[in-house]
Amino acid sequence: MIAVLQWSTLAICALIAIARIPSALRGENRSLFYIFTLMTLAILLSIEAPYVAIDQALGGINLANLLLRFVIFATIYVLGVKVTRGFGAEGAYRLITGRAGMAVLLVISVVMVAVFVMMDTAGSSAGLVGPARMNARNGVLVEYYGAAGRAYPAFVSLALLPAMIVAVRSTLPVLIRMAAGLLAIGGVAITLSLLFPVFPRSWDSLEFVINYTAVLCFMIGLALIWAARVKNGGNTAARKTSTEK
Amino acid sequence: MTLPAKAFQRWLQGIAPDASTADVCRVSGIKRTTLAQQLVRGKVSVSTVVSIARAYNINPLTALSCFEEYRELAGPLQPPTRCELISQISTQDLMRALLARPAMCPGETSPARPPALTPAPHATSVKNWVDAIDDGEVRHRVSASTGVAPQNYSAQLTANRLSAELALATSRAAGVGLANGLVASGLVTEEEAGWPADARQSALDGLSDGDLTALAGDRLQAMGKVLRRQEQDQAQTEKIWENLG
Repeated sequence: MIAVLQWSTLAICALIAIARIPSALRGENRSLFYIFTLMTLAILLSIEAPYVAIDQALGGINLANLLLRFVIFATIYVLGVKVTRGFGAEGAYRLITGRAGMAVLLVISVVMVAVFVMMDTAGSSAGLVGPARMNARNGVLVEYYGAAGRAYPAFVSLALLPAMIVAVRSTLPVLIRMAAGLLAIGGVAITLSLLFPVFPRSWDSLEFVINYTAVLCFMIGLALIWAARVKNGGNTAARKTSTEK
Repeated sequence: MTLPAKAFQRWLQGIAPDASTADVCRVSGIKRTTLAQQLVRGKVSVSTVVSIARAYNINPLTALSCFEEYRELAGPLQPPTRCELISQISTQDLMRALLARPAMCPGETSPARPPALTPAPHATSVKNWVDAIDDGEVRHRVSASTGVAPQNYSAQLTANRLSAELALATSRAAGVGLANGLVASGLVTEEEAGWPADARQSALDGLSDGDLTALAGDRLQAMGKVLRRQEQDQAQTEKIWENLG
């Protein structure tokens, strides 16, 4: 069941990324293509088989997991910037890109790398399941490491949340309001994932569901905005800017 | 909003005893699938009854009065008040009438008489009608008597829609002619509701220059608000597409 969810999410995300290639080549909103590509990479790295393959190539000490965390940070940062700009959430934009946002990103990254270095990370295993079971100390460190990795996405999605709720309740086109709703749900799911350390072990599958809810909501939300534009008959805005240059 | 299919069948039996469903659809211009679906669900829409009544030369109000919820439409109906009549004149017609008033064209001896009024309803009929009969508490009373939440009620008004059930409830709550809300929502015509043919024109002619000017001003202000909101939404949507489309 979980494998089906993982692979189908990967497939959807990869398809959207591929579908964005033509517009990326035309120079329309390349960052959206990057978001989907990074997301595809992140999903790929969270599935056991491709993770192990990639990690073996990187030396088999779970560097791929660290890579995955930074891929997620990059994705969520670009997403945060574009969404706050698009929805005109000035405050959230400043919070994410300003000094405070950068400080949060830096502190979380440093903590994450430090914990990673402190761990004994030998033995490729997606989600660091192997190293976590090695001994009690590693188990605790893996929890901290995971929490740090989820903290930045949670920070960004919490910053987005108010603007998304305003957009849902606005009189904007339905597809855009649905997209804002999905982005909001995704944000809530990511924030919920901060609570994973206090979840009992038996709730593993719930954790999977929450993670993939977040990914799917973000993905489909962004795709809906794109769909709304296509439905509206195209890229008047893009044409305008390209002729203005 | 809908009528029970059983009562509908009984009513149809009464007005067209030998007609098949197909005949009824052909005469009234209702799609066969639409009627079939309504019958299967056991809920026939009010507008279906109105269309069929018209096809068989029965006054829609008489037809509706055969159903329990609309019994009161059979009785003698109060004539529309002047405010209601004025509310059913479109903003464009009001503007035309205003421009033809002597107060608006000093110097001109006899301004051209504006063309005949366009029939009700108009683009903001429903809201203008409720505003015209509202003593400040009507909306509360309608919500209380129908159980429809105030925000849903005002959403209908803003969208220029009003279900037959709510139209009647509003008339009752304001103590005006029961069929008048059905005119404002466009379910029945002025003539079918028993409004005298030139009632709106006489009400308009009876307005002083000052009253007409103030009224047109109010309408323009409301229209300006709606247009501005639409423009803001459009600008916001363009910005979202520019960043995320």
